[in-house]
Formats: sequence, structure tokens, C-alpha cells
Amino acid sequence: MDKQDQHIASVYDRDLEGIQAAIMKMGGKVEQAIHDAARALVKRDLELAETVRLRDKDIDQLDSEINEDVVRVIALRAPMGSDLRTVISVMKVSANLERVGDYAKNMAKRTMILADASPVEGTELALQRMTKEVENMLQQALDAYIRRDADLAQTVREMDEEVDQMYNALFREFLTHMMEDPRNISVCMHMHFMAKNIERMGDHVTSIAEQVIFLTTGEMPEDERPKADNTSTEGTLS
Amino acid sequence: MLDDTNLAETTVANDDIKIAARDVSVYYGDNQAIKGVDVDIADRTVTAFIGPSGCGKSTFLRCFNRMNDTIDICRVTGDIRLDGEDINAKSVDPVQLRAKVGMVFQKPNPFPKSIYDNVAYGPRIHGLAKSKADLDDIVEKSLRRGAIWDEVKDRLHAPGTGLSGGQQQRLCIARAVATEPEVLLMDEPCSALDPIATAQVEELIDELRQTYSVVIVTHSMQQAARVSQKTAFFHLGNLVEFGETTQIFTNPKDKLTESYITGRIG
Ligand SMILES: Nc1ncnc2c1ncn2[C@@H]1O[C@H](COP(=O)(O)OP(=O)(O)OP(=O)(O)O)[C@@H](O)[C@H]1O
Ligand SMILES: [Mg+2]
Repeated sequence: MDKQDQHIASVYDRDLEGIQAAIMKMGGKVEQAIHDAARALVKRDLELAETVRLRDKDIDQLDSEINEDVVRVIALRAPMGSDLRTVISVMKVSANLERVGDYAKNMAKRTMILADASPVEGTELALQRMTKEVENMLQQALDAYIRRDADLAQTVREMDEEVDQMYNALFREFLTHMMEDPRNISVCMHMHFMAKNIERMGDHVTSIAEQVIFLTTGEMPEDERPKADNTSTEGTLS
Repeated sequence: MLDDTNLAETTVANDDIKIAARDVSVYYGDNQAIKGVDVDIADRTVTAFIGPSGCGKSTFLRCFNRMNDTIDICRVTGDIRLDGEDINAKSVDPVQLRAKVGMVFQKPNPFPKSIYDNVAYGPRIHGLAKSKADLDDIVEKSLRRGAIWDEVKDRLHAPGTGLSGGQQQRLCIARAVATEPEVLLMDEPCSALDPIATAQVEELIDELRQTYSVVIVTHSMQQAARVSQKTAFFHLGNLVEFGETTQIFTNPKDKLTESYITGRIG
């Protein structure tokens, strides 16, 4: 993991390594959750959706365990320098992962509601593609975290633009479908919430990437985060 | 947001330099304990000196009020200026200098006198009190600032050496502030104190900073981070890194500093 010298107190090293291992475990579970949530939607697999919903408890559990461990390390060791940045970033990354997990759970719930509704052509696959992109970002963000790779983290931040653009495109598509046939409205609303969830996942993964940059360089990235979600500013709604 | 008033200021409020040290070296016989150190101590600022045992913190601190003069084999070279004036100039009287640059030593060293006289000694020789009542006031105020008034107010005429180690240390702090020094040098002032007295001394340091310069040597990273705005890290007689305290403790630039503050084998 961190290729630094060891602490004089070796328990301290084990504590920090343990917390970071827990983050990786949590990251793995979240990756699985978003993958399965998208799959459950496309395949109309209600059992899988239910599994995603239930497994979110494990993710929440890991988040609270990580927080307890961090509090303990802060109280016992009063971390400084890169150790301080490690525990701070762990806490934030854990919170971000927990939110991503919640969004996946929310997708799974909506999938269950949509069980009997007929799909709106093409949009489910588009959602899956978007999810795939976020999954990919998350994988790379976690890699960047483990390797303390600020360049890779920067790449992840830039990938978020792609997700935002996919969301914008889907947003317009849903709007079109709803205007064409009001019977689509209910389904499209749920689908739109899912798209928005995935877009928010991208934001959380972006903030994980920013934590990696803080962790490795000691500074938060200064440039404005790339943003391409313009549905709230564009005239589409009028 | 946290309420600012509960936190020690983390940034230096001013750029006025109180003490400027240039190319200062200190030798004990042939052994060089401080190696060409340059440092600026800002006015109305707390500066912390940190570093492993034996790296020269106390030695360097003692340069600021010429306490090293009292050690026979000790030789100091380089230039140290207090408000622009060379403190090692022939014209400077070390006793006057020490009234301006007060010191609390690593080991408590009360005079073999009463508690009252320990504190009154400085104000008396420097003529700071106009009357007995005046002197009483100074003694009480100083003992309060040293966070020891309540413990000694009923036995002011008992010997200072009869106090516990931590009480003696606070008596020495009271003695040091009694002359209203412009600079206060504190060498591990809290190493013998319990958490309550430590918090009181830290409170005092923060109060003193409004008017004076404080330089504190401490082995507690948390204390350095809590009380100071500037931190200097020493290693084997060298000044390795000197900067804003927040930066030193969250993002040190030097590998040696990082290893030291994080408790790693450097
Ligand atoms: N009176 C003295 N005579 C000879 N050598 C001395 C004397 N005082 C200090 N030294 C030496 O100078 C070096 C620096 O000592 P100093 O007391 O300044 O260290 P320090 O950083 O204050 O350590 P500590 O944290 O243990 O108080 C040490 O190697 C020490 O042995
Ligand atoms: Mg010392």
C-alpha cells in the first residue's frame, strides 16, 4: 500500500492498513452493487434487485465500522502529516462510497416498481452504459487510491464529464418520450430518477478522486471541477 | 464552522520580526551542537521548536537571551538581533537582556526563597513596583497567569522549593512573566504538568501572544500544533524545516520532518 517507512509503533501501521483494507473491501461491494443494479434493471431481474437492496446494509455497516476505527486512531494516535491526510481521506471516501451504495439501492427499488411496465426503447441500455462508465471510474479511483496515483485520479475527475453528457442526452430523450405519449410519463420519471442517481454517483466518485489528490499532494485540486450537467441551466424546461 | 474564538489562531498576524538569527552555530568544546541556523522569530507570534532529543533545541533557545554565556565550554558564533540590535554586542548587559527575553527552563529551578520572593525578585531588581501594594498586585497577577495562585495563595511565604515538581514549574512561569518580558522562551514548560495545568499554561501562552513573542520547545506534537503559528523542526543541529504550523503538521515538505511528526523510523 503506502510505501512509506514504518511507524515506530507497529500497531499504528496495522491500524492504518486495516482501515484502508476496509475501504477497499467497501469499494468492491459498491462496485458490485452498481453493476448489479443496472443488470437487474435491464434483465428485469427482481431477485437481483432485491439482493442489491439487502446488501446495502453491509455497505452501511462497513461505513460505520470505518468511522469507528478512524475515531479510535485519531483519539489514540493523534495522526500528523500524511497519516492525518490518510485518516481524513478514509472518512470522506467511506462517506462517498456509502452514498453511491444508497443510489444503487434506490435504483434497485425503482426497478422493482417498474417490474411490469414495458421498457421505453433504448433508454435502459443507455442507463446501463452510463452505469458502466461510473463503475469504470470507481475502479480507477480505487486503484489510484491504493497506488497513491494523483495523475490517475485526475483522469478519473475528467471522466465525470462523459457521465454528465450521457445524463444530458438521456434527460432530453426522456422528455421527448413523455411529450410523445403521456402514458410514458410514469416510467420515464422513474428512469429519469435513476439516470440522475447515476449522475450523482459520478460526482461522488469524482470527490473520491479529489481525496486521492489531497492524500498524495497535500492539496485539493484547485481548478474548477469539469461540469457538463447543464439541464438545470439550459432552456429545455421552458 | 467551528467558532473561531475557541481555536488558537493558526496564521501569523504580522510580519514584524522580533528576533533575527543568522548563521548561528553553537559549540560545546569541539562538539558542534547548532550548525549555521537562520531563523526569524515574528513578533506577537508563538513559535514552536520541535525535534528529537539532543538535536539542539534547548541550546538554540538559550542563544536568544545569552544563557549559553553561563556555560564555560560553550561558544556561540553568528548574528542574533533583537529589534535589530545585536544582542551579543559588548554594550548589551546580559541581565537587562534577560529581563526583556525571559525564560522558563526545562527543569524547574525555583530560587531557595519564599514563593512570594521568587516572583517578586525580578520586578524588584528592575524597579517595576512603586509600592508594596503594587508589588503584591504583580505577584498575585503573575501567580494567576502561571495557573498556580489558588494552590499557593495561603502559603506565599513558604519556600518555593517545597512545592511539587509541576507546581515549581508553574511558579517558574509566574516568575518569568512577572517582569513582563517582550519575548518569553519556554523550554518544555509542560513536561511535568497534568492536563489541567497544561491547558492553563497553553491558555496563558495564547494570552501572551497578543502582546509578546513566545518561543516554546515541546516534545508534544499536539501541543506544538495547538499553541503555535510557526514551527521549526531541528535535526542533528540543523534547522530542517521552518514554516506555518498548519503546513508543517498537515503537509511537511521535508521527508525528515514527515518521519518525525508521524512517528516513523526516518
Ligand atoms: N552543557 C553541555 N555541555 C556539553 N554538551 C552539551 C551541553 N548541553 C547540551 N550539550 C549537547 O548539545 C547537543 C544538543 O543538546 P540540547 O540540550 O540543546 O538538545 P535538546 O534538543 O534540547 O534535547 P532534549 O529534547 O533532550 O531536551 C546534545 O548533543 C548535547 O549532548
Ligand atoms: Mg532540551
